[in-house]
Amino acid sequence: MIDTARPTRPLPTPSGDGRPRSPVPPAESLADAARRRRRAGRRRSATTDLLGILAWVSAAVAVTLWLAAPGSHTVVGIGGWLTDAGIVAGLVATDLVLVMLVLAARVPLVDRTFGQDNAIAVHRSLGKPVLYLLLAHGALLTLGYGASAGTGPIAETIALFSTPDMPLAFLGLGLFVAVVVSSLVAVRRRLPYEAWHVIHLLSYAAVGVALPHMLSVGSVLAQGTWQRVYWIALYVLALGLIAVYRFAMPIVVTLRHRIRVVGVERIAPGVVSIHLAGSDLDRLGAAGGQYGVWRFWTAKTWWHAHPVSFSAVPGRGRARITVRDLGAGSGRLGRITPGAFVSLGGPYGLFTSRARTAPYLALVASGIGITPVRSLLEDTDLRPGEATLLLRGTDADQQYLWHETGALAESTGSVLYTMIGHRARSRESWMTEQDVERGVTLRSVFPRLLESDLYVCGPRAWSDLVVREARLAGVPEHQIHQERFES
Amino acid sequence: MRARVVTGGILSSIAVLVIGWQLGGQPAVTAPAQQRTTSGSGTSGTGTSGSGSTGGTSAGSTGSGTSGSSAGGSATSGTFAGDTTETQYGPVQVQITVANGKITDVTALQLTDQGGRSVQISQQAAPILRQEALQAQSAQIQSVSGATFTSEGYTTSLQSAIDKAGL
Repeated sequence: MIDTARPTRPLPTPSGDGRPRSPVPPAESLADAARRRRRAGRRRSATTDLLGILAWVSAAVAVTLWLAAPGSHTVVGIGGWLTDAGIVAGLVATDLVLVMLVLAARVPLVDRTFGQDNAIAVHRSLGKPVLYLLLAHGALLTLGYGASAGTGPIAETIALFSTPDMPLAFLGLGLFVAVVVSSLVAVRRRLPYEAWHVIHLLSYAAVGVALPHMLSVGSVLAQGTWQRVYWIALYVLALGLIAVYRFAMPIVVTLRHRIRVVGVERIAPGVVSIHLAGSDLDRLGAAGGQYGVWRFWTAKTWWHAHPVSFSAVPGRGRARITVRDLGAGSGRLGRITPGAFVSLGGPYGLFTSRARTAPYLALVASGIGITPVRSLLEDTDLRPGEATLLLRGTDADQQYLWHETGALAESTGSVLYTMIGHRARSRESWMTEQDVERGVTLRSVFPRLLESDLYVCGPRAWSDLVVREARLAGVPEHQIHQERFES
Repeated sequence: MRARVVTGGILSSIAVLVIGWQLGGQPAVTAPAQQRTTSGSGTSGTGTSGSGSTGGTSAGSTGSGTSGSSAGGSATSGTFAGDTTETQYGPVQVQITVANGKITDVTALQLTDQGGRSVQISQQAAPILRQEALQAQSAQIQSVSGATFTSEGYTTSLQSAIDKAGL
């Protein structure tokens, strides 16, 4: 049932001594703020588009490396065509592998404009096509060389194995196959996260061992060519971004802020709030709604990094995250003892008020999805009536942080609805059976839905249904912000 | 928005590819080794026989041949080595055997042998190039695909050998 009543329990003050809030609503008029956000949104999407176009162009440049190489205009015979198709496949595949590495490197520009979760979605969608290209590269070249030499594919494979740098290249291909296969949905579901992660790290090795044969066997990247210079520069750029943002930055952040666990608070069955202390945590630059990738240095937890949202905006010396037992790793987090050292990557994420483009704000959260929504609400300057929230839980136990959120809603003059109960069985819906029957829709909960930014956070299948209804209702894509839960 | 990326991406990719196509097709060899031979050998038309000598410090080309007829100079005979042509995969040098103004054989003195599959490629390409040269009786032959550098080095050296033979 949708319940407009405010929580009746006494409201504790939100922990994590958040930033000082101005009790007065912002002076900027709603329309001005919306105009400013739209401009910022357009800039962001222009940057995103440019980055996307850059990725396309990089693939075209990879083809151009071959086009501009001697002999590419005079391909002769079936062997020649096979060989050249194989070369182009290899060049494009390698370029895309480097694009994938950059997408996964957590580059701030990508995260701020496109969102790291979107970047990972693109990264995933490239996996299989790239593998096909790499396999085609190997197959076409083996056949092509074989056809030119008049040998069969098996004899040619043996010949290739005895070519310098080629055994490494075959090893690289094998590693890529392992990485992609282990990431297929069906396989990944059966693999423990750690196994998948270790296999995935092999992609760095694969990229590394594949390089020598490109430079020594292929003629496109021959010594003294501009193609070789470009290719090495591309490698340096991609691996450099990884080294800096994926590995060095988290170390810098960790050493600078020296975060420790100061308390583990059980707030519901299977859900804990982890209270953290550190220095200058307000200078992490964490906006409400962002997440960090956390690693807790205890004997049982150090090998697993967890992407977890801040459940309160970090204060100067304190921060808080709230975790639900979603897997073996995060179940152990409940047993972390105070004093444990914490390393942090981030903060990351576009689930913040910075991403707004519309005058009003509609927030929908389910279960543990409340955490970024709560800190987002805390970190947003709101006029009374500007924001509307809908909190969703399967049962009464799932009201994590609801009273805190209620207090924030009250202090900002926001409208709060709650909906408790299992999802409807009669049809596919993100609502309870009762509410479906009563004819509740997103538009009836959020009357200004079309002029609102819709932030949705909750289990994947559930939030996809909310987003689908929003799209059908005509909410423009740039006003939909979905925090995807699985890493 | 996604459409903008796709359209923009495709258009700029096409632009890049067109530029790439325009850039393409340069010769595979760096400037052929300059005429290191100081004295011509196997000159035709005078009825003398020449013996090649190498000039400078590098082992240039050697050639020896005779021209059979004093008139017209159309019946040269002998062997003539072309200039050594540097390619990214090593030097290429060929030698032609000429009988009565006809190329009867082409032998590769040096073929690309540096890096990766060079030796394999050379072994594949050389017989094809030889056959083509014997048929064409000139250096205007098609390059063997997959063996661009070898082919271009081969034809360049072949041309210089033919020049020396005065064919």
